[in-house]
Formats: sequence, structure tokens, C-alpha cells
Amino acid sequence: MNHASAPPSTIALIGNPNAGKTTLFNALTGANQRVGNYAGVTVDIKSGETYTPHGHKLRVWDLPGCYSLRANSPDEKIALDALTGAIPGESKPDLVVCVVDASNLERHLQLTLQVLELGVPCILALNMVDVAERTGLRLDPAKLSEELGIPVVPMQANAKRGIIELKQALRFPFPNAAEHRWIDSSENPETSRRTFITQLCDLAARRPDSHQQTRSDQVDAILLHPIYGWIALLGIFFTLFWAIFSFAQIPMGWIESGQSSFAAWINATMNEGDFRSLLVDGIIGGVGGVLMFLPQIGLLFFFIGLLESSGYMARAAYLMDSVMAKVGLSGKAFLPLFSSYACAIPGIMATRSIDSAKERLVTIFIAPWMSCSARLPVYFLIVPLLLHEHEGTWKQALVLFGIYALGTSAAFFVAKLLRSRLGKDLNPGHFLLELPPYRKPQWSYIFRHVFDRSFSFVKKAGTLILGLSILLWALSTYPKSTTGDAADALTHSAMGRIGAIIEPAVKPLGFDGRIGTAILTSFAAREVFVSSMAILYRVEETPDPAATRKLLRERLASASWPDGRRIFTPLSLVSLLVFFIYAMQCLPTTAVVARESGSWKWALGQFLFMTGFAYAAALVIFQVGRLIGY
Amino acid sequence: MSHFLATDLEIDSAMTLNQVQVGCDVQIRVLSGPGCERLRDLGFCEQLQVRKLAGGRNLICSICGTRMAISRELAEQVLVSPIG
Repeated sequence: MNHASAPPSTIALIGNPNAGKTTLFNALTGANQRVGNYAGVTVDIKSGETYTPHGHKLRVWDLPGCYSLRANSPDEKIALDALTGAIPGESKPDLVVCVVDASNLERHLQLTLQVLELGVPCILALNMVDVAERTGLRLDPAKLSEELGIPVVPMQANAKRGIIELKQALRFPFPNAAEHRWIDSSENPETSRRTFITQLCDLAARRPDSHQQTRSDQVDAILLHPIYGWIALLGIFFTLFWAIFSFAQIPMGWIESGQSSFAAWINATMNEGDFRSLLVDGIIGGVGGVLMFLPQIGLLFFFIGLLESSGYMARAAYLMDSVMAKVGLSGKAFLPLFSSYACAIPGIMATRSIDSAKERLVTIFIAPWMSCSARLPVYFLIVPLLLHEHEGTWKQALVLFGIYALGTSAAFFVAKLLRSRLGKDLNPGHFLLELPPYRKPQWSYIFRHVFDRSFSFVKKAGTLILGLSILLWALSTYPKSTTGDAADALTHSAMGRIGAIIEPAVKPLGFDGRIGTAILTSFAAREVFVSSMAILYRVEETPDPAATRKLLRERLASASWPDGRRIFTPLSLVSLLVFFIYAMQCLPTTAVVARESGSWKWALGQFLFMTGFAYAAALVIFQVGRLIGY
Repeated sequence: MSHFLATDLEIDSAMTLNQVQVGCDVQIRVLSGPGCERLRDLGFCEQLQVRKLAGGRNLICSICGTRMAISRELAEQVLVSPIG
């Protein structure tokens, strides 16, 4: 056999959640790993490379964790598809490594038997033997191997113990598929699997007392306590929010100053012209404005990784279940919705772990109403104007809190309505969650996760957002006016003409055509609103963004309608705020919703509903407010 | 109750996991209901021993050394009997 010229064989890692697949994956593939995002498929399979002891290259897949091959949730479906070769463009894996937690064989072997029944060659990686030994479990890998008919490798992936032995087992030729002798045609396969596992564990994994009180139980006595548990939960998440917003300020400042000095450098070296304008106003302004949020997104993923890796996230979901149940969701919807406060895109992707398809759809639908970080620049512009105060007072913090509460409560209200309209689940009340023991966070995994996420965000900024920025720039630059004045140029451009057309539509909300235009530009990304307003109200950019905002605010405060009335009354400001709280102004989110829900109808419906709701809410506030005399 | 017989009488006399007191060890007798496939996947199989660690809206049980949180609706489908 000549393996050197043949394409590399594929091995797939499969196992229950928390069995240590990803740790093993990272130990096998080292720094070579990358995240494969299969188009059209809703869940990521990580793919990497490793070498056998004889130097043959192997492709390794890290499949999503699953409890069975019955495809109960989207991530289980993808694992099943990968094992059966149902993923387009990929063939069946040549060898499957079943990763099991040695201290939990009774449960984890269920999946192993199901994999063996598929008839693929298989190796059993008996992970976390150290944990098993500490609980007093007496393991007999040789006996297990004999009974299952497949190689069994005891290991401890987090300490890199047993990796060499596993690689030895990955040598060519791969073992043949084992026969599954537990299947008895006269019996239900469930029953025969269970009987077999019970016998097997009696032989090869004898446990003394499985219910001894562990340190995790002692911690849980506090963290899951009906009173202290809630105090701890609130404390942890408030600290987290505070940390994300305050730590992110530092790198955000670096990005901002780097960006403006880059723009200044281009301004200084290039001759004035359309191309310079495209580079500075279109590309650096557009892409840079979005890249600004990279530190916040990175920090959010860092903290989420920390909470997940330590085991606390499952406890938070457990506690939040009772709150979520009030609107027809379960505790599993907590993490996606929480993530959406930073950015709806990772939040929507995190809904994959929700088993119930209807609950998942509802969660996806309301996620963009959790005020994301892209709305913050807009809030920071409007709120001080509303209060006639400087930035950063406690009154503003209170208003900001109110803004978050307004979005969230409306989201929960819609969830309740939608959930009852979608009808009951086939199997209601299926909250079932493993509470893993608390572990020391795996730093390498967390940092890799943060890096992957940040990289895919940067990639998006470099492709989709770059394209949109160029388009927006072109719309607001052409056709050109003759006066050379920035504001005139904008009214003369395609975007300005659109603004004039839409003025009648936004006037009932208390906005003029300029605000209308700025809102229109913000449909690509919300934060664009601030820079559009700056251009429309003739504010010169200064190197200091806070000073620019201050200048803009002064200009806005004195802006008036042709008949002399002020444009920015407190009422029109509130109306504007409410519009931004509810409007769906994020193209990438709509694209992700379409992919995750599998239908453009849902994504479009969500867009129309949210934007319509925002318009109606702003309209009601402005008109009712005027009637009662504000 | 040393040997499990699938008679109606025995199932009638068994209690659900909801009725078990916190801190008690019980043995799973029968799983019945729409959620039992999912329960088996997660390790709630006949013959296995469970300790109930906390009650309330969702129960916490220890099964094979793992802590699991399950809803009352699911716990209702797990019929158990005391060990003894």
C-alpha cells in the first residue's frame, strides 16, 4: 500500500459532551487546527491534522458532543451525518475514535455501542482515567477491549497521557469494524444495549460508591441555593458586564487612534480625489468602525469560555430555567440570549444546543432585541443630549439600564406570544442538563476559542462589511454636486435624494430628512449612524472621538426645522432612542438568522417585524407625546 | 423487592422520582412516557441507582457519579423504588 500518495485518511472523534473530545483533538493536532465551517450546515465541525507514528498524515474531525445518534438536536444531527457520510463533499470517516469519560462508562458507552452498530472501524479512548481512579473505580481496559472487540486506550488527554498510545493504535491498517454481538433480533435494541453495558461495567469498571459527596457538590450547595445562588449569579454576571465594557475601552482606544492616524497618513500622502475619499471615508471609516468592537467581542468570548470551561454555565442555565419558563423558554435559552447583549451573531449560533426546534426558533427571533454593543455608540450620542449633561453620570447609567430593560422586556413579551402561537412541543418540559464537576479552566482551549471567533469576525469585516462600506460610500458620493460643500454633496447624492424622498415617512416620528438618511445608512450597521450624522450636520472629524461627539451634540442641539422649531426636542430624542432599541439594523445578523433557521422567510419576517415594530413604537411615542403637550 | 417483575402491581407501588425525598438513594424500575428515550441516552436506565440531591422546579440527581438536572415532567416518567 502506498499511503503517501493517497489522500489522508479521516478519523472522527465522537463522544458525549464533556468527555474531553476537544482536549484530545487539540492534543492530537497541536497548533495545526482550524475551524471548518461547512456551508449550508448549521454546526461547525473542527478539522485538523495529525501524523501516525510512521509519518502518515491523518485528517481529524472533532464532532459536536452528543448523547445519542438519534439526532435530537441540530448538533447531534450533524454528528450523525458526518459518521454516515451524509455531508456533501465529504466521505465517511475511515476510523472513529469514541471518546468516553472513564468515570461515567455506564452512560457514555451507550453512544459507543450505537457507533459500533453503524459498522465503522472504531477505537475506544478511555479518557479521564485519573478522575475515575480518584473516585475509586477499578478499570480493566483489557477486559473492555475483549468484550467490545475494539482497541481500548486508557488516557488522560488534559495531561497528554496516553496520546502516544492512541497514535500507536491509529496505525495502518485500521482495525476492522467490530461485530455487535449484543444485538439480539428478538429484543428491543435499547434493552440489549443496556443489558450489555450493565454486564460490561460489572466486569470492567467496578465502582464502590457512586454517590459520595464531592467538592463540586459542596460548591453547588451554595451556587445552586435558592437564595445565595441567585446572589452569586447576579454578582457574577454584573461583574462580567462591567469587565467587558471597562476593559475593552483600552484596546478600543488603540484601534481608534491607529485608524485615525492611518487615515491621516493617507490624507497626507495621497492627492485629493475620489480614490482617497473611498479609502478614508468608505473603507477605513466603514470597516474600522466595525473592527472597533473586536475587543468587546473577544472579551465576551473569553468570559463565556471561562464560564463554560469551569462548569458554571450549566449552573446558570439551571437557575435561569424558572425565569425563562415564564415566557415559554427553558434555561438553555439563557446563554444565547446573554451572548446577544454583546453581539446577536454568536448568540444566534449558540442556540444550536437547544433541543426543541420551536424554542430554538423563538430564541433566534428575539435575540436581536437584547441591546447589542453596536447600539452603544448611538446611545452614547443621544442620551447626554436628552439629559443636557456631560458623558458618564449616574443618571445616564440609569437611562442606559432602562434602555436595556425596555429591549429585553419587549423581547420576552414577544417570546411569550410567539411561543403560544407556534403550538406545544411534541415533548413538553424536556429540561435535562448535565451539571459537570467544576474544573480548572483550560486556558489553551479558551484562548484558541477567542482567537477563532475574533478571526471570523475580522474576516467578516474584510468581506461583507467592506463591500457594504464601498456601496454606501458610492451612494453618498455620486452623483456629485458642484459646490464642493460636504453637506450639499450629501443632499445631492443618491443617498441624499433617498433621504428627501423618505422625509414624509420619518416626519411623523419627529425626524427630518437628514436623520432619515442617517437611519437609512445605519441599516448596514447601527454604529454607522453616528458618522452619518456627523457628515450630515457638518461636523469636522477631530482625532478625539469624544470631542467629535461633543461638537456634534452642540450642532444637533441648535438644529431646527425651516419654521424655527427645534428638531431635537426631548420627545424626538426618545422616539429616536426607541427606534434604535427595536429596529433590526444588522445585515450580518439577518444572514446568520437565515442560515440558522434554514429559511429566508424567517429572517425576512424578523427583519420586517422588528423594523415595523420600531417604527410603530417611535410613532406612538412621538404622536402621543405631542398630544399630551411635550 | 430483590427481583424486578414487570407486574402491574409492582409498577403501581413504585413512586416517581418527584416523590422521593432529597438525599435518598433509589433504584430505577421503569421508564415510561414520551421522554424515556432521551432519559436513557443520558444514563437514566432501568436497574441503575440514583440519589436525589435537590428538589424544586428542576431536580438534581446523582447517577453513576454524574450530576444531572431534570425537569419535573421528566422525573414524573421515572418510576423508582427504595433500595433495600
